Amino acid sequence: MRTLATLPLAVVLLLPLLASLLFIMPGVADLDSFRALAEHPQFWGALALSLATGLTSTAVSLVLALVMIFAARGKNLSSRAGLFLAVPHVSFAIGLAFLIMPAGLLARAVALAAGWTMPPQWVTTQDPWGLALTVALVLKETPFLVWTFANLLAREDLAAGFAGQRAVARSLGHGEASTFLRVIVPQLLPQALGPLIAVLAYGMTVVDMALVIGPTQPPTLAQLAWTGLSDAESATAARGAAGVLVLCAVVAAILAAASVVLKCSRPHLHRFYAASPRPGEGLGGAAQLLWPALLAVYVAVAAVMLLQSAAAQWPFPDLLPNVSTLRAWTHLLSDPRPVMTSVVLALSTTACAIAATVIWLELAPRAMDRVMTMCALTAVTVPMLLIALGEYRAFLALDLTGTAVALWTAHAVPVCAYVFLLLARPYRAYGTQWAAVAAGLQQGRARFLWRVKWPMLKGPMWAAAAVGFAVSVGQYVPAQLAAAGRFSTLPMEAVTLSSGGNRPLLAVYGIALMALPLGAFLFAARAGRSRWSTP
Amino acid sequence: MTLVLRDAAVNLRGMPLTRPLIRPFSVSVQPGEILTIMGPSGSGKSALLSWIGGDLPGAMQGAGEVLLNGVNVIGVPPERRRIGRLFQDDYLFPHMTVGENLLFAIPAARREVRLEMMQQALADAGLDGYADRAPQTLSGGQRARVALMRTLLSGPAAVLLDEPFSRLDQDLRSTIRSFTSDHIRDRQVPAILVTHDRADVPPGGRVLAISAQGDMHHV
Repeated sequence: MRTLATLPLAVVLLLPLLASLLFIMPGVADLDSFRALAEHPQFWGALALSLATGLTSTAVSLVLALVMIFAARGKNLSSRAGLFLAVPHVSFAIGLAFLIMPAGLLARAVALAAGWTMPPQWVTTQDPWGLALTVALVLKETPFLVWTFANLLAREDLAAGFAGQRAVARSLGHGEASTFLRVIVPQLLPQALGPLIAVLAYGMTVVDMALVIGPTQPPTLAQLAWTGLSDAESATAARGAAGVLVLCAVVAAILAAASVVLKCSRPHLHRFYAASPRPGEGLGGAAQLLWPALLAVYVAVAAVMLLQSAAAQWPFPDLLPNVSTLRAWTHLLSDPRPVMTSVVLALSTTACAIAATVIWLELAPRAMDRVMTMCALTAVTVPMLLIALGEYRAFLALDLTGTAVALWTAHAVPVCAYVFLLLARPYRAYGTQWAAVAAGLQQGRARFLWRVKWPMLKGPMWAAAAVGFAVSVGQYVPAQLAAAGRFSTLPMEAVTLSSGGNRPLLAVYGIALMALPLGAFLFAARAGRSRWSTP
Repeated sequence: MTLVLRDAAVNLRGMPLTRPLIRPFSVSVQPGEILTIMGPSGSGKSALLSWIGGDLPGAMQGAGEVLLNGVNVIGVPPERRRIGRLFQDDYLFPHMTVGENLLFAIPAARREVRLEMMQQALADAGLDGYADRAPQTLSGGQRARVALMRTLLSGPAAVLLDEPFSRLDQDLRSTIRSFTSDHIRDRQVPAILVTHDRADVPPGGRVLAISAQGDMHHV
């Protein structure tokens, strides 16, 4: 019975992941495709761009997130950061492009002040240096890191220790900044290693965002590999696969190099920790504004998409369209299939993930948690491009490509991984005394679960469900490969539209893509609220 | 150095009324003296120390003056008050060695001077050769001594002890109690100790008790 309970999660998460990694292997030995890749005229430029955008965005996000956490002065930002996370990457990239492109809202605002009559000539999206992509990544990854750090700082087993250590450090003469840098950050970062690796891996291998806002001549290596993968010709597809492997090897090499650098800098770090007390105040008022500024960017992104979605004519430099239309919206409603596919996939994979995870946590032997945690961490940190490639090969071998099963599995893997990672800790932390109390009242297990345990855990369960839903809605790479053109979901439509000229329609899909997970988050926040909390 | 509390009070903020936890009282603590304040849990004695130290949580409100050598430190950030704190937990920083924990507290000086002060403190605590150890590898008594040494190395003008012995094993307590009071007396630092354990009171020390109404009276 107890081993049987591991089956559901093993089938939807462990099995596809193993199959994926297994089917990656033959590509490693395919030397010809690596040679073809290295000889591709855009390869070195693409690799350089991937390195630049990935490393820069990770470093800047990390610094910004730490500054925001510091400036919050112990105020818990996690619930507000959660809303930022709900916005899918593609949707954000579309909105940001509308904001910063030469005829975008930002340029119009400047034009109004500076008296421009023509849009500026410079390239602001898809710029050859990948700056727009870097900015988009920073704006999307910073709230994720803020959320990670805020959750760690608020975690019951860590919070009291941090509070006490902070009080001691300040009584010894260390100012707020010195205390944060020498006492809090060195303990926070090792705890956030997984998310930090995920941010780096994501930044280096992102495809969907890069297709919308990234450079094109050359593209990033992830894009180069991606266009190869989707090619009908097998040699080109093999070259694309080689690109994926090279990219992942580069990520691994960076991580290895980072750990060596960290090891070598240990003496310096420790000398820094042990420095004499510095009572200085540290950051000024500007740091306090970073968090509201980030919020403003997200609001602006949503607003510009709304404006663009209804714009029939929008001459420069007007701040508002002068002819509006709902044609794009009626177009979305006239073909609701992508929306429906996305919703059905998200609801079904999330429900399945919650059920499988709860069955696992309730019945499976605790000793096996480590295996599943490792597996889920692999699924969220290893670049999705690699996992998706392996899955795609596995689907091909099983003749499942383009079937609903393949599409569903491709969505279910990341959803289950996130749901498990989010639910395991609160579920395991649930006190055993409650079961004893219920048993003492002659209540059976089913009644205890339905009437006591799950109602008490509904907060984390709904939160995990909201994240699962958002993860599913945002999937592009694995979905596109598994669907093989036979299905279309919201992100697939949005990415396709982003290379066309129909801005209102693109905006409509961007909004729909953003609205679904945001709605899920708001619903989950309501449903998961304790009945005693004040509204 | 003398520590004076003048019309000190702690209130619990609430809607609609703010409820007094500790009603206004005044006391003067002499250099090297350990004044004990006793009261049941929830009586506000820890909050009183937080107010003196400068990190009272927002749910509470302090009133009155804290004078160090005649200067009121209320409104001064905690890191500039020069008031050392010890808690139930020793709060040794787990990512630093024992030596680094001590160096963290030693004011700016030439590196050799700071290292010398650190070694001397370890010797005083009977912990010669422990500088490079991780705090996690120390026993409870050793950790308590390092924590006290760390506080004293920062050169405090006063020390606040918030039940620092309550987590220690029974047989260790008396050793650590006398270790603590000896060092505080040697350095002529005024100290306030809050506890609910009578045995913590240093021999011949003055004791204040908090009544159920929040009044402070001599015992």
